[in-house]
Amino acid sequence: MPAPLLQTSAVAKAFGPVVALRAVDLSVAPGEVHALLGANGAGKSTLVKVLTGVLRPDSGELSVNGDPVLLHRPIDARRKGLAPVYQDPAMIRDLTVEQNLRLTGADLAAVRRELAEMGLDGLDLGEQVRDIPLPFLRMLDLARALAFDPQLLLLDEITAALPPDLSERVFAIMARWKARNRSVLFISHRLDEVRAHCDMCTILRDGRDVASFAPSREGGESQIVAAMLGAASIPVGEARERAAVVARVADQKPRLAVRDLVIDKEHGSVSFEVHAGEILGVVALEGQGQDRLFEMLSGDARAAGGGGEIIVDGEPLRARHPYDAIRRGVVLVPSDRAMALLPQRPIRENIAAPLFNRIARWGPVNARTERNQVHEAVTRLSIDTRAAAQARRLSGGNQQKLTIGRWLAAGFRTLLLFDPTRGIDVGTKHQIYELVRELADTGAAIVMFTSELREIGLVCDRAAVLHNGSIVAEFPATASETDLLTAMHGLAVAR
Amino acid sequence: MTSSPSALVTTSLPRPTSRATRFRRREGWVVAVALLLTGLVFWRYTQIPTFGAFEIRTITAGTMTIALLAMAQAVIVISGGVDLSVGAVMVLTNCVAAKLMEGAGGARVVVITVGVLLMAMAVSGVVGLIIVSSGVPDIVVTLAASFTLAGLALIVLDGPGGGTNTTFQKIFVGDFGQPLPSVLWLAGALVLVWLPFKRSRLGLATYAVGSDRNAAFLSGLNVGRTRVIAYVVGGLFSGLAGVVTTAFTGSGEPRASIGAAATLTSVAAVVLGGVALTGGSGSLVGPLLAAFCLTLIPALMLGLGWDPNYAEVSRGVIIIVVVMIGGLLQAKRRAG
Repeated sequence: MPAPLLQTSAVAKAFGPVVALRAVDLSVAPGEVHALLGANGAGKSTLVKVLTGVLRPDSGELSVNGDPVLLHRPIDARRKGLAPVYQDPAMIRDLTVEQNLRLTGADLAAVRRELAEMGLDGLDLGEQVRDIPLPFLRMLDLARALAFDPQLLLLDEITAALPPDLSERVFAIMARWKARNRSVLFISHRLDEVRAHCDMCTILRDGRDVASFAPSREGGESQIVAAMLGAASIPVGEARERAAVVARVADQKPRLAVRDLVIDKEHGSVSFEVHAGEILGVVALEGQGQDRLFEMLSGDARAAGGGGEIIVDGEPLRARHPYDAIRRGVVLVPSDRAMALLPQRPIRENIAAPLFNRIARWGPVNARTERNQVHEAVTRLSIDTRAAAQARRLSGGNQQKLTIGRWLAAGFRTLLLFDPTRGIDVGTKHQIYELVRELADTGAAIVMFTSELREIGLVCDRAAVLHNGSIVAEFPATASETDLLTAMHGLAVAR
Repeated sequence: MTSSPSALVTTSLPRPTSRATRFRRREGWVVAVALLLTGLVFWRYTQIPTFGAFEIRTITAGTMTIALLAMAQAVIVISGGVDLSVGAVMVLTNCVAAKLMEGAGGARVVVITVGVLLMAMAVSGVVGLIIVSSGVPDIVVTLAASFTLAGLALIVLDGPGGGTNTTFQKIFVGDFGQPLPSVLWLAGALVLVWLPFKRSRLGLATYAVGSDRNAAFLSGLNVGRTRVIAYVVGGLFSGLAGVVTTAFTGSGEPRASIGAAATLTSVAAVVLGGVALTGGSGSLVGPLLAAFCLTLIPALMLGLGWDPNYAEVSRGVIIIVVVMIGGLLQAKRRAG
C-alpha cells in the first residue's frame, strides 16, 4: 500500500468555547476520490480550512507524502500541492477574472486550457467577477485550482449551486484527476453523488472522524446517515396521510390565495391557494420567478408592480412593507440565513427581534416576557446554545432553526419557506421537516419552495410547479420526481 | 435521477457585457466629474472678464495641496482603510520643511525635500503598521495619530514661521501667471507614481484587499503588508502636499485646524471622485478632478457675491447631491 498523499493525525481546533475539531484522523491515498461527510457543525469546513492553511490547528499533525508540514498561510498549502475550491469562490468581485488570476499567480494559459477542457472556453476573462453568475464563478475557481496542477484538489460543496450539467463536468474532472493518480477530497451533502463518484468516505461527527469506508458498498447510504447522526436514528419515510390532509382542508376557506399575480410581465401569472394545516411545495428550475414570488408574498413591495392580488384570510393584502404582511400573520424564512439573522447579536435577541412589535410598542422591552418566550422557542427547536453569544457562530443548521424560531415566538398563521434546507445536513433536515409538519398540524398554512424534489414526497401535501413565471401544473405529494422534473421544464406530463 | 435532467438542460454561458457597458462602469464616474469640472471652469471663465494664465494658475496652484491629499486618501480608501491623519502629516511635513529650509541653498533644499517625503512615508507606514498589527479600526488609530502629529508640528514650529528658497517655490507652484509647474506636478504624481503602482501586482492586491479582505487572504495575498504599503503610498502623497504647502506659502504653519479641515476635504474629494468608501473601487483620477471642483465652488459663490459661509453650505450640498445621483444610477444598474 502506498504512503498516503495527505494524512492528519489528531487535528484539533477550538474557537473560544466552541470546539470545532476534537481529534481528526484523515488519510487520503494517491489516486483516490475521498468524500468528507458530516452533519452541519461536525467540523468539515474547519477541517478544510486547516488543510488549506487558512486556520492553524491547536494541536495535531498534518503530513503530505509522509512529510510533516506546517501551513501558515493559504499559499503554503498551494506550494505543497493542495488546491482548494471553497464554497464561496475566493474571487474579488471588483476585479476582472483575469486580474484575479494574475493576483494569485495562476498561469493564464493553463486556466484557459482547463476552461476549454470543461467546455467553457466562451467565458470572457475580461469580465468583472460581479457580472458572472455563481455557478460559472465556481467553475472558474475550479479551473484556477486545476491550473496549479495540485496533487490534491479540495472541493468544498462545489456541486451545491451547480446545475446538473455543470456538476457532470466536475465529476469528469474528478475522474480525470484520479486517472492521473492524483487525489480529490470531495465534500457534498448529496449522498448519491458521493456513492457514484467517490472511492472512500470519512464521516465527521462532533469534531471527530467516526467512520471511514467505501461508500459504494451495499447499504452505504444508510451507513453514512447512521454514522453522521450517531445514536439518534431518523424516522425513514413519514407515513402520513397526505391525501387525507388535502381532502380535509379542500373545502375550507383558503388561508392564503393568490390570484393572477404577475411576477414577470412578459409571461403568465400565478394563482394558487393554501389552506390552514396544509403544506404546499413549490418547485422550479433556477430563475423561473420563485424569488420574486416569495418576495411579493412576504410584502416586500420593492418586488411588486405587476398585477393580480394576494388574499389572506379572505381579505386582500396590500403590503407596502414586510411589516404589513407580518401583521397579517404572513412571515418569510429566506434561504439566505445571513439575510434574516442579526449575525453579531445573541440568539436571545435574534428570537426576540420580531417580538418587539408585540411586547413593547414604546419604551423598554419587558425583559421577563422576552426571556420566557425566547426560552420556549429555543427548547422547542432544540437549538445548540453553546454559541449563544453571537448567532454567526452557530452552524448553518442551527442558524436555520433560529430563523424559523424567530417567528415561532412571534406567532404567525402563514409561513413562507424558501429552500429551508439548502446546505443543511441530513440529520438537521429531518428535524426541520418534522418542525414544518408540526407547525402545519397546529394550524399554519405553509408554502415551501424547495430545490430538492424528494422533499415534495417527504414533507409536502401538494406540489405546484412554477415555470417562466406561471404555475404550470399541480401534483399530489405522491407524484414521481420524473413527472415533477418534466413539468419543471415546461413539458406536458401524461397522466 | 441525475442523468435525465442533464440531458434536458445545458446551462448556457452568461452573455458578456458590452465594451460600452464596461467603459461606462469603469470610467463613467470620472467622465461625469470631468464634465462637472468643465462646467465649473466655464462658469468661472464667464465670471471673470480677464480670465487667463493668472486665473488658471490661481486655481491649479491653489488646488494642489487638496488634490494631493485627495490622492493620498484615495489610495488608502481603495485599500479598504480611511486615514484621518493625512492633513496632520501634511502640516507636520510643512513645518519640518519650512524650519529646515529657512535660508538653505539649492542642493540642501533638494536633500531636505527628499528627506521630508521619506519622513511622511515612514510616519504613515507606522500608522498603517499599528492598524494592521493591533487590529484597532483605521478610523480610531488615524484619528489618534492626527492629534499626535499635530502636536509634533507645534513642537517643531511653535507658530507660523520658517522659510524657503524662492527657486524651490517656483519649481513647485510657478510664478504668478505660470500654471505649468503645478499642472505638471499633479500629472507627474498620477503618471509616475499612481499608474505604475496600479498596473503592478501590488496595485491589484490593493484593490483586492479593499474589495474583499477574506477572499484576498484566501487568494494567497499578504493582506497586512498590502494595507501597510497603501498607507506608505498615501504618506508619499500627503508628504508631497506638505512640500507644496511650503512652496506655496513660503513658510510653515503649525495650526492643527488646517490639517483637520484638509483631511475632511480629502474625504469629500474621494467620495465625489467616485471611490467607494467601502474600498476596492475607483481610481485617483476622479478624486483629483473632484478636488478642483471643491476649490472652485467657494470661489464661484464668492464671485456671485455670496456670503462665504453659504459657499461652505453649498459645497456640502453639492457633494451630497452628486453622490446621491451616483447612488441612484447604481441602483438603476442593479435593477436593469
